[in-house]
Parts: sequence; structure tokens; C-alpha cells
Amino acid sequence: MKTASQLSIRAALPLMIGAALSVNAQPEVDTSQWDCKFCEFEEGFSGDAEIGAGYVWEDDFKFGEYTGLVDEGGYAIFNARATYSGEDADYLDLTATELGLDARSLTIEGGRQGSYRLNLRYDELPHNVSDTVRTPFTGMGSEDLTLPPGWVDAGTTAAMTSLDNSLRDAELETHRERLAVGAAFVPADNWEFGVKVRRDTKEGTQSTSGAFFLNAAQLIQPIDYVTDEVEAFVAYAQREWQVRVKYYVSSFENDNDALRWDNPFTPFTAGADSGELALPPDNEFHQVGLAVGYQFSSATNAGAELAVGRMRQNEDFLAATTNPNLTTALPRDSLDGEVDTVNAVLKLTSRLSEQLRLNAAYRYDDRDNQTPQDTYSWVSTDTFSAATARENQPYSFTRQTLDVSADYRVDPRTKLSVGLDHENVERTLQEADETRENALWTKLSARAGKHTQASVRFAHAERDVSSYEPVPETQPAQNPLLRKFYLADRSRDEAEFRVNTTPGESLSLGFTVGVADDDYSESTVGLTDSRLLNVGADATTMLSVDTSVHAFLDHQTIKSAQAGSNAFSVADWRATQTDTINTLGIGVQHRVSEQLDVGADLAASESSGKINVNNSQFPDLEADLYSLKVHATYRLQSGISVRAAYWHESYDSQDWSLDGVEPDTIRNVLTLGDESPSYDVDVLLLSLRYKF
Amino acid sequence: MHNKATLRLHSSFAGALAIILCATLFAGNSFAQDSEPGEDEAMREYSERGADTCLRCHDEDSEYPVLPIFKTKHARIADERTPFAQLQCETCHGPVGEHGKRKLKKGEERQPMLYFGINAAAAREEQNGICLDCHRNQSRIAWHGSAHELADVDCASCHKVHAAQDQVLTTTGQPEVCYPCHTKARADFYKPSVHPVRFGQLACSDCHSPHASMTDALMAAPTLNQTCYTCHAEKRGPFLWEHAPVAEDCALCHTAHGSVHPALLTRRPPLLCQQCHSQLGHPSVARSPAGLADGMPSGFLLAGSCLNCHSQVHGSNHPSGVKLMR
Repeated sequence: MKTASQLSIRAALPLMIGAALSVNAQPEVDTSQWDCKFCEFEEGFSGDAEIGAGYVWEDDFKFGEYTGLVDEGGYAIFNARATYSGEDADYLDLTATELGLDARSLTIEGGRQGSYRLNLRYDELPHNVSDTVRTPFTGMGSEDLTLPPGWVDAGTTAAMTSLDNSLRDAELETHRERLAVGAAFVPADNWEFGVKVRRDTKEGTQSTSGAFFLNAAQLIQPIDYVTDEVEAFVAYAQREWQVRVKYYVSSFENDNDALRWDNPFTPFTAGADSGELALPPDNEFHQVGLAVGYQFSSATNAGAELAVGRMRQNEDFLAATTNPNLTTALPRDSLDGEVDTVNAVLKLTSRLSEQLRLNAAYRYDDRDNQTPQDTYSWVSTDTFSAATARENQPYSFTRQTLDVSADYRVDPRTKLSVGLDHENVERTLQEADETRENALWTKLSARAGKHTQASVRFAHAERDVSSYEPVPETQPAQNPLLRKFYLADRSRDEAEFRVNTTPGESLSLGFTVGVADDDYSESTVGLTDSRLLNVGADATTMLSVDTSVHAFLDHQTIKSAQAGSNAFSVADWRATQTDTINTLGIGVQHRVSEQLDVGADLAASESSGKINVNNSQFPDLEADLYSLKVHATYRLQSGISVRAAYWHESYDSQDWSLDGVEPDTIRNVLTLGDESPSYDVDVLLLSLRYKF
Repeated sequence: MHNKATLRLHSSFAGALAIILCATLFAGNSFAQDSEPGEDEAMREYSERGADTCLRCHDEDSEYPVLPIFKTKHARIADERTPFAQLQCETCHGPVGEHGKRKLKKGEERQPMLYFGINAAAAREEQNGICLDCHRNQSRIAWHGSAHELADVDCASCHKVHAAQDQVLTTTGQPEVCYPCHTKARADFYKPSVHPVRFGQLACSDCHSPHASMTDALMAAPTLNQTCYTCHAEKRGPFLWEHAPVAEDCALCHTAHGSVHPALLTRRPPLLCQQCHSQLGHPSVARSPAGLADGMPSGFLLAGSCLNCHSQVHGSNHPSGVKLMR
């Protein structure tokens, strides 16, 4: 195969493909001597199990953000994979991953191939956010945060004389547990039924904040969420057409309705001693989906999908205020919120000749907010009654896109594509009723030689806005010169170049450079420019039969410029943000002998964020990550191996929004005093693996 | 919400549809010929001994070892849909012809087989057609016209059918299959604020549907927001007081893979917020380094910035939450 000329294989291709495609037609072939005696069909159990221990030197939340390895000390390693294959296509697959960590996963799937499938998946996902926060409130994790006995109110944080003695360490962390069970059946040829049920439980804490007029406090919010999902489908598929009907329901329940907290500041008004935040309300979403695919011929295909859904939310309202001196009647007891969604797509592709193919896609996304509008007299931050009642604004929008493109094969190695993408978005209750965007793009893809592929793509898009009028319901009013960036006129240019080459069986190289440039030419206040540059390279090589090396490099620059107006008039200040991220990775795998494999992976990511406001430069936001993993596997005897690994990771970050900000640093904000994370962590792992 | 723009779009699509259908019907005969096995098929014979013909050479020491396929679902004879219940290797690779000749004359090249992958001689559509012949099931209904199909991605670029464990079907291995094309995504997951793909907690397919989707970015649910709600259902609402961009598109403020800013924000508050909020008073004021911790520490700049007071940015169901402060 390797020595075959392109010419000879191309000559032979049509008949081979024709034969392969005729599988279902069952060509008449004499298979009487097809004994398959060299076929190593697997029946019975096989798999492997790994058991061992690891040790982490250093406590650090950020290091264990998603793995759960937050504490110094030992932990167990247990991974397993087992497969059973039966004579009648019965099968059972089990995969257990990192059972010794807080981030553990178990998957079991079994059934009879071609008849039915049952599966279960259990996952735990920790998210350790911070263990460097401090708060004077007690009752963390509950709906009520109270100040300790003897708390001394004050007008500023610095004057809170009992603050220092009241601060206690706290942790911000959540833990998810997900259990999903599913089943799929093939009751008859071409039919398939499936159902999946998933419960996602998320518990823990996260930060939030609450204000009293000009003062605020960062708070710890309880998380106790349960989301149940059910998805069921029935599908019929044959060669020319396929259809699927699906039903999806999601039900979200929050065990906490509100977060109440004592006002740590001297109240501005009598009775503003405590506040109450509404926590996310229970909600439901139901959606019915229909998907149809039709193959007019081998050259022309059509596909359509329709999803019709309804979101509902009717949680009882909290009182407008907890301030006993302020009373406000509500127009209703709950929102009776309802949003209807319609999502549809219709796609058509047709190869008109060996050279020309046309593609068209139409998409329709509608969010129709049916929530009743009422006028609400409201209380500002439990401190005073607002002078003007406000009407809720149930936003709706309809987005339609039409993409048409043509692919022209200049020759078997070269394809030229051109396309026109049109998007139209209509919105209610916002500054712009309608935005329209047209994008014209072209892409040239070419193969050079047998093993090199390259493409270059250019696109230009113009977004126009019907008219932009400040919304009267927004109080106080927006600067009339502001153009919200997603509702603004915009000119976008994009370019991308890619090349991938595999000059030999043992070497693969890839290079990508892309740039996207947005110009909001009509925006004198708001976002005016943004630019994204990405350069990436990727290489994989086999230095020898026993040694492989993989490396990647990536550079990103994300820039934006905006203007503001202190004077609520023409722009009188400007700001820029520039994020720069450089990432490098190198991995080596080497087989030292039949018994010993060794490897190493190095990754480094350095990022910085530069912010300039009116020619005043902020200190750089910095985050540098360096990670080195070295591992070795030694095979003791058939089926048994020992794995040892060492992992060193260091992380250093600087963030001016956190660093040096103690709970009493800001006079009118009692903060959690969090710090930007840094760590230097070593991990050693030793395990025994048995393959059966 | 139908108006002239809707009519224009509908008309445009109907026009495009009509052009394609007409052209299809006009050229239909030639396509029909393409889709049928040619008469020349008879010129290339199926093997006399099936897979044994292939496995004589393609054993574990071969340059193209194939034996791990017997650990996979393709090699289950009791499932009559599988290749090994049909024409074994030649189900997918076509008749062996002269490729299986034991000895070649001096200088003679071995007749090629149909093979798959990025360097294969067969065109993408033809390679994929062979796979879709069996796998055109409910999860690939909308493959044609999807982003990967339009980009000429072949099945074998992502799937290794001869491997005991197809890497793209594992949570931890899948990203490595996607990264060679999606190089930026790999770098994104090393940023300070990320979704935990790098740690093996999420696979790309938890959010993306690589075979077909209703969105350009191949999101798993019909829209980006609906995809996000599968894990962040508390943000679905609807809320009494909505934040308009939140209900429309999470990506207006957040980036999905990774960011140098907290909570995967695209930019740093307060500047992020000031791109849309310019009311007279504190939203309009330029927040300079003078407000840092070592200057005149500003609650508009430090800690949670705007969120120090307006913490309910995803929407509030509190009767007094119009300013997203309750």
C-alpha cells in the first residue's frame, strides 16, 4: 500500500468504493472458505486494574481546583477497566477512573450489541475555588448570615472595631455528583429507542455580595442545587432517510430561596439592619425535537431539525424588603414566567458535478418571552423606597441566519470555497430593534504532494443596526452616544492560514495563524475596537521505533479598546485591555527495553493582562503555570507492571483586584480578603497494574 | 416577530433551495451513476479466504497492524450489522483483488487497497460514505452540511477503528484528538480560569456534538445558552428582572474554554460592564490605578468591582431586584 502510486490507486478507487458502498446490497461472494482462522475474536473477560498510592506535598486549593488534591498527604489510586464479550454479542464494559480522588468517575455499559444497551455513569466533580477568604459572618452555608455577638456597626470598614477579632477563615468550594442511567433498544431493523435520566447535585458555597445603598459586603452563598434531566427519543433510519423525535425535560430545584445577612455598616435609614438576596429560583424546561435527514442521491442531502421548548419559573416572590419600616405591595405573588423557544435549521448540500458543490443552511432561533409585565414599586437595597415604580422587561428576540456557499474543486488537490452568511436579529425592549450582518468569505484549500495540506481563509462582515434609541425604561438613562457592542454597527475582518504536513510516516507538523479584527466605527462611547491574534504550532515525531516526541506552541493576543464619558457627553476617556498568553508543551515517550517505558511531559503557560485607562497603566495581571510530569512503567511479568510518576507544578499569579485587598481595605465594601493564588506542589505516585 | 427581514430571509432561502434542487434534478442522472457500483467491480475479485487473506500479512508485526480490531464492536459476528458478520475486512476496504498476491514480480507494485485517513487517496465524501452506509443513524442525521462535514473532515481523522480503544471515545483521550486542528482550544485550557477539560473532568463532547448540530460551533443543544444550562440550570430563569445579554448569549460576557479573567469573563470588570453601561454617575466614571489598594481603594474597581453591589448579573427574581442588587 505504501508503495502504490497515486495514479494506480486513483484508477482503482471508484470500483473499490462502489464495492464497499454496496455492503447493504450484499454482493454475491463465495464465502465458503472464509474460515477466519487468524481472527482473534475476543470472548470472556479482559481488562486491567491499577492500584496504588500518591502523596501530595503542600496544601493548595488552586492546585486541586478540579482534582480535589487540595491537602498535603496521601491518597489512593484506583483505576480499572474491564470488558466482557459474549458469544451472542453480549457485552459489558466497566471503567472506573480515579476512585481515590474527589474527582472520580464510574461508567458501566452492557447489553447485547445490535439489540439493546443499558448504561450507568457516575461522576463527582469538585470545584475548589478558594480557601483564603475571611468573613465575620457566621452561618456559612446556610440562608442566614449573622454577625457575631458584640459586633460594632460603623460607617466604614476601618471603623469596625470588632472586625479583626471576628474574622474567620472560610472556603469557597462546590461539589457535584452526577448519576445518569440510560437505555437504548433496537426493537426492529432501522428502529431505535433511547432514554437517559440524569440527576446532577451541586452543593457547597460560592461568593456573592449584597449592598445597602452606598455600602456593600461580600458574602458566602449556599449552593444546594438539584437538576434532573430526562431525554427520550425514537428514531427510524434507513439509507435514504432518517427521522428522530426527541423529548427533553430539565427541572432545576434550589433548596435555598434567599440569603439574608446582617448589615455590618451603620444603617443609612432606620430598619435597614438586614438584607435579603433572592437565590436562583426553581425552573423547568420542556422541549420536543424533530430531526429529519433525506438523501436525494449520493450527491444531494438535506437535513432539518426543529426544537420547540418552553421555560417556566413560578417561584413565590420574596417580600420587597425585610425593612419593617418600609412596606410595599406586590402586583403578584410569583412571576408566572414563561418563555417559548423555537429553534430550527434546514440544510441542503448538493454536489452538482465532480467540481462543484453548493451548500445552504437556514437557521431560526426564537425566544418569545411570555412573562407578564407588571409595575413593581420597589425598595432600594432594603434602605429606602424608590421614587419610581418599574415595569419588568421580558426580553424576546428572533435570530435568523442564511448561509450559502459553493465549493469548487479546481483540481483533485485544490478546493476553492466562497460563501455569504447573512444574520438578522430582531429584539424587543432593547436599544436596537434589528441588526443585520452580512459576511463574505473565501477559503482556498490545497494539497501539496502526498502529505501536505494547507488552507487560507478570508472573511469580511458588516453589521448594520436599524436604529439605536436609548430605552426609556432604563433609569437613569444611558449616554445617548453609547452603542452596546452587541447592538452596534460593526465591521469585522478575519484571516486564517493553516498548514499540516506529514512528510514521513514518523513526522507530523502543523501551523496555524489567525486574526480577527472588529471595528465599531459608529461607537463613540462603548467598545470601539477589538482584535484577536492566534499563532499555533504542533509537531509529533517518531525519533526512532522506541522514541516519540510531541510539542506544541501557542501565542494569543486579545486586545480591545473602549471609550467612556465622565461628563455624560462625548467621550472623554479611553481604555485598552491587552491579554497575552504564551503556551508551550513538550512530551517525550521512550521505550528503554521490553520491560521499561519512560516519559515526560512539560507544559508552561504564561499570561499577562495589561490595562490602560486614560494613559494610566495598571499593574500587569499575571499568571504563570509550569507543570512537569515524569513517569516510568516497568513490566514485571506478563500482565503485571509497576508505574511510578513524579509531578511538579508551580503557579504564580498577581491580580490587583485581590492582592492587598484586606476585608477592611475598601472603606465601603467589606470584602472576603481573598488573595490571588500561588503554589509550588510536588506529587509522587506509585502503582501496580494488573492486566487480565 | 415577523417582518420584512423575515420575508427577505425566507425568500432568499427558498431561492437557494430552488437553485440547488433544479441543478440536482438537471444533473441527477450522472449522480445516480456515481452512487451505483460500476460494472468494473467485477474486474476486482473478492478474496477466496476472506480476512485470513489479509491477516497473513497484517499481523501485530506489520507496518499496518490490524489485530486490535478484534477487541472492538466491529468484530462481533453475532451482530449481523458488523463488518465481520458480513464480508470481513472487505466490507469496508472493498474487494482485495490483486492486493492479496503472495509474491510480486521484481519491480511490481502491490495493487493498492482502499484505505482511510487524512493521507488516503479516496476523497473525504467517499471515505465517509462507506462509514455512513452503516452509521447513518439518529446521531448523524444532520452530518451533511455540518461544520466538520463542510471542512472535509473524514471519519478516520478522529476515529481509529483498528485500535482496541478508540481514543476519541474516552473523556481523557478525546481532547488530544481534537487539539491538532483546534490548537487554540488546547492553549485556552491552560489559562487561569477554565472549564476542566485539562483535568479530564469534561470532554469536548460534553458541550459539542461533532457529528451534527443546529449551531455553527456544533453545540450539543440547539443553542449555546441551552448547552450551558445543562450544567448551569440555575441561570435559565426566566427571571423577573432579566439582564438582556445574559438571556441572549452567554458568550457576550464569557468565553467558553479559558480566560485570564475570573469566571471565564472575556474582559475585566469594570471595563467589561462599561462597554454597555454609561449612565450618569458611577457607571460612567473612568476607574484609574488611583483606585488600587495602595491608593484610594475603590469598591468600583477592587474585589468584585461592579459585582460588589450588582451581584445578580444573571438575573434577579427579587421584587426589588431591578438593579440586580437583590
